[in-house]
Amino acid sequence: MKQRAVRNLRLCTKDCLCLYVCPVGAADTENSIIDTEKCTGCGMCAQACPSGAISMVPEEYPPQQPKAEKVTAAAFALAESKARQETMARQIAENADSDGLYRLMTAMAKSIRLVNEDILRESGYMLPQSGNAHALLRRMAEEPPSAQFPSEAAKRLLKLIPCNEKEG
Amino acid sequence: MKYVCSVCGYIFDEVKEGKPFSGLPEVWACPWCGAAKAAFVPEKAAAEKQEPAAPVYLDEDMEQLSPGVLSALCSNLARGCEKQYKDEESALFLQLADFFASAVPAVPDAGTEKLAELIECDLKSGYPLLRSEAAAEGDRGTLRICTWGEKVTNILNSLMLRYRAEGDAFLQNTQIWVCTVCGFIYVGSNPPELCPVCKVPAWKFEKVEGRTSA
Repeated sequence: MKQRAVRNLRLCTKDCLCLYVCPVGAADTENSIIDTEKCTGCGMCAQACPSGAISMVPEEYPPQQPKAEKVTAAAFALAESKARQETMARQIAENADSDGLYRLMTAMAKSIRLVNEDILRESGYMLPQSGNAHALLRRMAEEPPSAQFPSEAAKRLLKLIPCNEKEG
Repeated sequence: MKYVCSVCGYIFDEVKEGKPFSGLPEVWACPWCGAAKAAFVPEKAAAEKQEPAAPVYLDEDMEQLSPGVLSALCSNLARGCEKQYKDEESALFLQLADFFASAVPAVPDAGTEKLAELIECDLKSGYPLLRSEAAAEGDRGTLRICTWGEKVTNILNSLMLRYRAEGDAFLQNTQIWVCTVCGFIYVGSNPPELCPVCKVPAWKFEKVEGRTSA
């Protein structure tokens, strides 16, 4: 399976062994991000790295787990409730007179968004390469939901991300 | 009798503490995670909560997804790209998420009371239904997000109860922290060493800044 090296800067302790072992000079970038154009996916850097900051990720991802319709129906209903709560929390924050309420509602809006992202990820939208994600992007690109919709972004995503299963 | 915190699992043992749980003041909070007294359930009832809820079937046609849900769906896919170290793709999905966020219509009756109601409704019916459907299908991924999400929703419920009982006195001279992994909210001068819900370290918490310092 074709793979490439990626580096987690948070873990990198700058031992720089990757520089010594990389046969193609892909690790010597200014910004510390491994050069994807040069990387051949040999994995030497990941094996040599003493801090475990480099890992190998696949070029092609396996299809995501299929989801039952009854589960996604219940999940989307919950997602609508979360979205409404997030909107409310933001509105209350905007109109808040006190600093305490402003911070509490800002925190809640962030929290609810994170929880909702988890719900939607498990509703058939885990991988950007999935058939569901592609069907959604295609629909947005072909029938933009409004005149202001950034259609170019949707088109560019369809071009950049290969679909790894049948479109849902 | 033992009472269990539904957020972090802290156990209040009446025998060990030498006092009844019911005798604790209403403002008493979980010593581990700060959840309200109301977030505690008797140890037996914690097991009973697993009962499946009556199923309700809903239309899941994509047309029905609101801009708010589409925004979260796109920011979720941005996160998916980020995990794959696809920066350009992640930024593009965030652009779509921002568009949908700006297209969300205002809620006419927004207020802390209405928000508290919706949060309670998720705990009473939203999660039990999703959990029972996921259990019936053996969908472990969904069961896991139910566990995390329900705990986080519980802490939100606790904070709403506290806010409505005490006003924002409990938020003065202290900080509010959000776990950037699961959404757990912590009130205190420093974030907890480990997130009580998802167990990530303190640096994964983000401090919520006030308006003036923002």
